[in-house]
Amino acid sequence: CAAMMQGQTSDWKIAGPCTFHRVVLKNASPHHYMKVHLELEDNSNRLSAVELKHFIIAGLKNLHGEVGAALNFDVLKYDEGSLTALLRVHSSGLVKLWSSLTLLGSYQNQSCAFRVLQVSPFLLALTGNSRELQLH
Amino acid sequence: MAVFMDLNLMFSADRTRISKLLETAAHLGFSTVAINYMFEPTLPLQEIPVPKPINELIDQLPVVQGRSRPIRVLNRLTVVVSDPSHYRPNAPEYRRFDLLAVQPTSEKLFHAACMLYDIDIICISVTEKLPFFFKRAPINGAIDRGVMFEVSYSAAIRDSTMRRYTIANAASLTDSCKGKNVILSSAAEKALELRGPYDITNLGLLFGLSDGDAKEAVSSTCRAALLHAETRKTASGIVYTARSQQEAPSDPPEGQFWCRSELSIRVSDKNVTSTCAGDTPAAKRVKTT
Repeated sequence: CAAMMQGQTSDWKIAGPCTFHRVVLKNASPHHYMKVHLELEDNSNRLSAVELKHFIIAGLKNLHGEVGAALNFDVLKYDEGSLTALLRVHSSGLVKLWSSLTLLGSYQNQSCAFRVLQVSPFLLALTGNSRELQLH
Repeated sequence: MAVFMDLNLMFSADRTRISKLLETAAHLGFSTVAINYMFEPTLPLQEIPVPKPINELIDQLPVVQGRSRPIRVLNRLTVVVSDPSHYRPNAPEYRRFDLLAVQPTSEKLFHAACMLYDIDIICISVTEKLPFFFKRAPINGAIDRGVMFEVSYSAAIRDSTMRRYTIANAASLTDSCKGKNVILSSAAEKALELRGPYDITNLGLLFGLSDGDAKEAVSSTCRAALLHAETRKTASGIVYTARSQQEAPSDPPEGQFWCRSELSIRVSDKNVTSTCAGDTPAAKRVKTT
């Protein structure tokens, strides 16, 4: 913060304390965000964002029926090259969406698997992954 | 926190397939896996399989994600019992395996497996409609003896009919055992049939387990099964020691921290269930037989 930066050059006591924001959620957060990666048997196969969403809805419908297919979720971001997507879902539907992703096993008659990389109630948390940190 | 385990990876003679399975399991975060050898005495010309040494299956064990140590690989035998003569108590062939499981096909054999057989795991069939109901008495007996029930999920990934059976059978099991002593494992033949530990935990919610029980089903319940397997090889129980380090008071004499190491001894006994906890003091868990 700016106050601290100035304080470093002159006197510590003059500069005010570093402002610190603490965010407290009184209720459970409304959404959950998931970062998923689709692993396909045949790597040459590419699918578009629309196809991906259609595939996930088909999986939801397979496991939870029409009620599951009516679940609201969004594909916020999708990278065709790495087949990695960011999904947003209401917290109440997280278990349904996640379980249907887990049990999705085949795409167009070839086996596939969804690897759930990260799940968080905060979108900001998905900017980095502590498991990929290179510690020296 | 207990580490994650998957106590059922199907054995196949194909070396590349096994090494791919182990690599995927390590990448997903499983610290311990067991390679499962199926034995069905009803099939003609069947002999109890002999486990292959791990170094013949894979050259170098992959490193588990998030912990810088290689994956631990065990051997496990599953006997499909459809006749009381199929399970041979104290058979020397069973001793070569770290874990021993049975898959009973009738109510009578399920009862015997729960109450009498010296085994670690009872597999619940997930590829057919249950031929019998789970009764409370044998299940409580199995829980008292520390025998685990295993539900595998890869059949549910392969086929939608199997998925129905898996969910139905698992739900009826968790109804009768109230979520205790349940293990979730993969029974995967291919790497793409494996799922991560947190995915399985979430799947456990679908089977009617509670949040805590679902997580234990891939971690500490599995550890309890391994400890139970070790007691099978000994007379009555095993003693585990773990070193715990304690920090000195905040102002150490020479400006240095010194460590005092002490041994905490954990005893797991054959007749004590859920020896896995590791949090309860040892004295509480020691029980005279």
